[in-house]
Amino acid sequence: MDGARRASRIRHTGLRGPGTPGLARAYAPIVIAGALAALLPLRYGDSRTMMGVIVGGALFAAYAIGFNVIFGSTGQLFLCVGALAGVGGYSSALLSDRAGLPLLVAIPLACLIAAGVGGLLSWIAVSRSLGVIFTGIVTLAFSLAFHNLLLGRRDLTRGETGLTIDAGEDTILGDLVPPYYVLLGVVVIYLVVYRGLQRSRTGWAFRALRDDEVAAELTGVDVKRYRVLAGLAGSAMIGLAGALYAHSEGFISPTTYEFGHVDVSVLVMLAFGGLGSLLGPVIGAGVFTILDEWLVWSNEYRLMIYGAVVVALFLGLPRGVAPTVVSLVKRRRERDRGESNVSGKRASR
Amino acid sequence: MRAVVFDGIVLGLQFGLLGVGLTLVYGLGGVLNLAHGQIAVLGAIVTALRIDAGTPTVLAVLIGLAAAGAVALLLDVTLLVPVFRRTGESRVLLGLLLMLGVGFIIEGVLGWRYPIEALSLRIGGGPIDVLGVAMRSGALLASAIALGAAAGLVVFFRFTAFGKAVRSVIQDETGAQLCGVSPATVRAVVLTLSGVLAALVAVTRSMTGPVNVHAGVDLTILALIVAVVGGLGSVAGAFAAGVLLGIVNTISAHFIGSYITTIVLLGAAAVTIVARPAGLLGKGRE
Repeated sequence: MDGARRASRIRHTGLRGPGTPGLARAYAPIVIAGALAALLPLRYGDSRTMMGVIVGGALFAAYAIGFNVIFGSTGQLFLCVGALAGVGGYSSALLSDRAGLPLLVAIPLACLIAAGVGGLLSWIAVSRSLGVIFTGIVTLAFSLAFHNLLLGRRDLTRGETGLTIDAGEDTILGDLVPPYYVLLGVVVIYLVVYRGLQRSRTGWAFRALRDDEVAAELTGVDVKRYRVLAGLAGSAMIGLAGALYAHSEGFISPTTYEFGHVDVSVLVMLAFGGLGSLLGPVIGAGVFTILDEWLVWSNEYRLMIYGAVVVALFLGLPRGVAPTVVSLVKRRRERDRGESNVSGKRASR
Repeated sequence: MRAVVFDGIVLGLQFGLLGVGLTLVYGLGGVLNLAHGQIAVLGAIVTALRIDAGTPTVLAVLIGLAAAGAVALLLDVTLLVPVFRRTGESRVLLGLLLMLGVGFIIEGVLGWRYPIEALSLRIGGGPIDVLGVAMRSGALLASAIALGAAAGLVVFFRFTAFGKAVRSVIQDETGAQLCGVSPATVRAVVLTLSGVLAALVAVTRSMTGPVNVHAGVDLTILALIVAVVGGLGSVAGAFAAGVLLGIVNTISAHFIGSYITTIVLLGAAAVTIVARPAGLLGKGRE
C-alpha cells in the first residue's frame, strides 16, 4: 500500500517527495566516499599486492552497485553477476585481441553485449512473470551454462588455462595505479547514475513496484518496462566493470567470473551494506575486501565464515548492517536532541 | 546404445531421488533448499568417517543417513523458524538466501576439518548381465536402492495417514491446518526425510564413484534442475524428470561431450521454467 501512496504522490503534486534530499545533500556522500577512496593509492601505490587488493575492491563495488540496481531496486534476483561480468570481459578480450578492434570500441561493445544479455534475461523473467525463485533459477542456470561454455570452447577461451589479453597493456590500464582510478571513476559514475535514478520518476517507479507490484501497476507504473530497464542498466554496469578489469589484469579465466567467486561475494556485500541503499554496496565491498584480505590464509575457513555472515545478516539484520547502524545513530541523536529541548524548556520555565 | 540408455536409467534414478528431497521441501514451505547437496555430502562424509573408524559398512551408512536427517531437522527447528513465520515472496527469498549460506557453512566446515575425506563404497561381485548388457554390480545395487526408496515414498504418500497429511499441506496450507493437520510437524518430518534421502543419494552415488567434500554444489544444482523440470512440489514429476534427464545426460555425454551435457541439462531447466513453469507432471499451481 505504501507503494501506491508514494506513486500517487507523483501524480498529485508533481513535486519532489518529502524523502528526497536537496542536490548538495544528495550527492555529497558520493563526493566524500570518492575522495576518501582516491587517497588509498597514496598509501598503497608502491605495493603490487595491495594495489591488486584495492582494484579488486573497486571492481566488486562496481558489481555490487549493478546488482543493487537490478535486485535492490526492482527485486529481480539475478544470480548471474559473475556471468554478466564474464560476458563483458570475454567479449572485450575477444573483440580487441581476436577481431583487432581498438579498446575504445571493444569495451563499449562488450558493455552493450552484457546489457543485451541481462536485458534479455530480465525481459524473459518479466514477460513470463517469473517470481523471485524462478528468476533466480533461470539466471543461475545461465551462470553455470556460461561457465561451462567458457570451459568447453577452448578454441576461443583457452578453457581453464585462461586467456592472456594483450590489448590494453600499452595503455594506462596496463600500469599499476591508473587502473584503480579508472575503476574508481566508474564506481563514482555508477553512484551518480544510481542517485540520479533514485531522484527521478524512474526511482519513484522502482520504489513503488518493489513495495507493492500490484498497487504500482494500478497507479499506472509500467512495471515490466521499469524492470527491464533496471536489468539493462545494471547489466551494463556489471559488464563494463568486468571488461575494464579484464584489460587491467591482462589475464582472465573462468574462475575470474565464477558464480562461487563473484555472486556469493556480491551477496555478502549487499547483505552487509544494505539492499537498495546508495553507499551500501560500496561500504559492503570495502568491508568485504578487508575481511577477505584478512582471511586470505585459509580458503576453507573463509567459505564457512561467508556462509555464517550471509545467514546471520539476512536473519538478524535484513536491512543490512550499515543502514541499521545509521538509523540507530540517527535515532540516538534525535533522542539526545529531544532531551536537550525538554531540559531547555524546563530551564526557561 | 542400449548400454548408454541403461547407464542413463541408473543415473536417472539417482537424479530422481535427489530431486525428490528438494521438491518436497519446496512444495511444503516454499523453501528452496540450496544446501541440499551439501547435506547429502555431510551424510556421505559421516559414513566415510565411521567406516574409517571400523564401523561395519551398513551400520556406518545408517549413521550417515541419520546424521544428515538430524542436521536437516536441526535447521528446521532453528534457522527456518523465522522463515516460516513470513509469507509469500519474502519467505521464498529469505529461505533461499539462508539455505545458500547454510550450504557454504556445511561445505566450509567439512572442507576445513576433513579436506581429503571421500566416500567410496566398493560393491563386490563382477558385472551382471542385464538384457545383454554387462552392468556393474554397484550400479545395479544403487538403482535397486533408488527404486526401493521411490516405492517406499509412493506407499508413504498414497497409503499412510501421515503421507496424506503431507500432501494436504502441499496443496493448501491453510486448508490442511483447518482440518487439524499441523504444518509445522509435517515440515519437520519432511525436512528430516529430505535430509535422509539426500544422504541416500550420496551413498548410492559412492557405489559408482567417490563422493568428496566438494561434491555438494554439483549435487544441489542437479537436484535443482531435476526438481524444476519435474515441477517443484511433484514427487512423481521428480522421478520422471530424473530418469529422463539421466538418459539425456549419458547420451549427450557419450556422443557430444561433458561440457555441452551440463549446458543441455541447465538449458532443460531454463526452458521448462519459461515454457511450462509447473514442470513435466506438475499441476498448474498458482
